[in-house]
Amino acid sequence: MSAQVNTVLGPIGADELGVVAIHEALLSVVPGAQFAYDITIDRAEIFDILASKLRAFKAAGGGTIVDRTGMFHGRDLPLYEALSRSTGVHIVASTGMGPEENLGGYFLTPQTNPPTPWPAERFAELFAAEATDGMVHPRVARRAPAGLIVTTQSSDGATPTDDSLLRGAALAATRSGVALAFSAPSDTIRALELALAEGLPADRIVVSGLDRAGTGATVRATARAVAKRGAYIALDHIGRVDAGSPSDDDRAALVLALVDAGHGARILLSAGAVGVAKGHAEVNSAYEVVLTDFAPKLAAHGLDEDGIRRILIDNPRDLLAVKEA
Amino acid sequence: MTRVNTVLGPIAAQQLGFTSIHEHIGYGMPGSELDTRWWKTPEQRYEETIPKLRAFAEHGGQTFVDATGICNGRDIDYYQSIAEKTGVNIIAATGFVGGDTALKHFAEASVEYLTDQFVHELTVGIGTSGGKAGIIKVGVSRGFKLTALDLRIYRAAARASLATGAPIITHLAVDAATAIEALQDEGLPLTRVLFGHADDGVSQGKVDEEGIVSAGGRIGFDTFGYDLELPDPPFWGRHRDERFQHLMRYLRSGQADKVLVAADANCSPLGWPGVKGHTINYLFEQLIPDLRQDGVDDATIDQLFIGNVADFFTTSTPDTLNSEGK
Ligand SMILES: [Zn+2]
Repeated sequence: MSAQVNTVLGPIGADELGVVAIHEALLSVVPGAQFAYDITIDRAEIFDILASKLRAFKAAGGGTIVDRTGMFHGRDLPLYEALSRSTGVHIVASTGMGPEENLGGYFLTPQTNPPTPWPAERFAELFAAEATDGMVHPRVARRAPAGLIVTTQSSDGATPTDDSLLRGAALAATRSGVALAFSAPSDTIRALELALAEGLPADRIVVSGLDRAGTGATVRATARAVAKRGAYIALDHIGRVDAGSPSDDDRAALVLALVDAGHGARILLSAGAVGVAKGHAEVNSAYEVVLTDFAPKLAAHGLDEDGIRRILIDNPRDLLAVKEA
Repeated sequence: MTRVNTVLGPIAAQQLGFTSIHEHIGYGMPGSELDTRWWKTPEQRYEETIPKLRAFAEHGGQTFVDATGICNGRDIDYYQSIAEKTGVNIIAATGFVGGDTALKHFAEASVEYLTDQFVHELTVGIGTSGGKAGIIKVGVSRGFKLTALDLRIYRAAARASLATGAPIITHLAVDAATAIEALQDEGLPLTRVLFGHADDGVSQGKVDEEGIVSAGGRIGFDTFGYDLELPDPPFWGRHRDERFQHLMRYLRSGQADKVLVAADANCSPLGWPGVKGHTINYLFEQLIPDLRQDGVDDATIDQLFIGNVADFFTTSTPDTLNSEGK
């Protein structure tokens, strides 16, 4: 049997994924916003918005969207199942949580004396069960297994619970065969070492968010350091020009430099778009921007068709394929 | 007339009758819904809940105040179905058990935003359920000290109480001086506030009861039944007689009007195992017989569970709400 990828509609052959957007958000809800008096969550309206965005992605040549928001930021599995069925876009949903500020009190101040936050091992159990037994529709049922395990460290420095989350996510990835993706803005390499120390092979790890901030030069230095250790590098803010972020030309130059240095098999690209945002600002970015805008830019910078194809199709396929335990 | 919101609509304060002021249909820390170890089928939840409420009603209980705040598994349409089928009035709470249980959206919110949230839930409704909150919950985070977030919630609760007339119940009565200062700074008469869990095992020696009473606040003997005599008591448990004598000191000294009494039991816990052998009916099956045995008369028992509760919901109600129902 060929390698399988966990989608919200169940496992499919890794070769069926097509072009993958590895780091996107479908419905993104700040924890608690679902209870806010001034926020309406109209799932029919959300369906329409997401369906049209997914169709645009598909029309541009996209095949698979990975929702990288984890298990506690608006993930709505019945909605994603219906969206995948009606648009034909494969949807991979993720497990995991983070940073600490996004967690519920159940994990931070449990009803024990003293209220010790969850250690890595308990997060590992929680996430691994989602990656093997199925993701939870809270208090109702498990659905299809998660296709990616994600966490994020606080931008102003990792907290002890951020580290427990990362180590737990790495352990869950080791046990389930599902890959780990994390972002660690404050100290990326320290976080990568932490994940590796849990016994997870580097080729099962994606370091994301590298192109979010910084100049071309600082981003390049971190990306090279990650690639040297054998982990994937996700440039997942393609098309976004925020204050202090690199430009798409910087990003394209970085991709070419990494390819030249022999790291072409470790590059992933994504827009980091948010389909529907509740409780935080909308992100004006389209899922297909890598296909419509960035791939031509890579070609203009001199990357050939095989090189582009490898980054958009082969690399995410290898990453998302569940490893036999 | 004082209107009190139950989940099925307003009733007059005079109709509250025998009320337990601090209970839970089901409580779970935010995020516990993600952990399948606690999941129960709807059949199981009703099976664990309905017989307790039926027994409560058969004992003479009429009103159940659910002290489960926002983000803790509060489930208004479920409460509505239970209230309708059992005939027990259920009053839901807006607010938070404490800063520890406020998820990010609220943890980062201003006092003004939190006030709007509470007032909306008290006057317009909770979510899409149509049910309104009738009481406001606030509390002290773990560590026995009010955090900055706890205090934003207290201030918002005070403003919402002043705007709507709804009373406030607290989770924990520790660090009372800080709470009183903030509430008084907002202009709230302290008769509107029940300082809860003044009777629990872990708070003893940490509650300034005199300070609370002299400021006009009420003392919550609202963890009755979490006895260390239970087979597997929780860490906040206390010896049965010690808690009982603590309450008796108020009754003997003529301060029965200063206290409210409840069991803080979960009918069907959501994110923790609960405490085996502890239900709301401890009030009828253990406490009231104990009170009678100690010579407490029926009038005083009625005062604790009926008169004091009606007074708590009635005092200082703004004129706007009073005139609304005329
Ligand atoms: Zn309680």
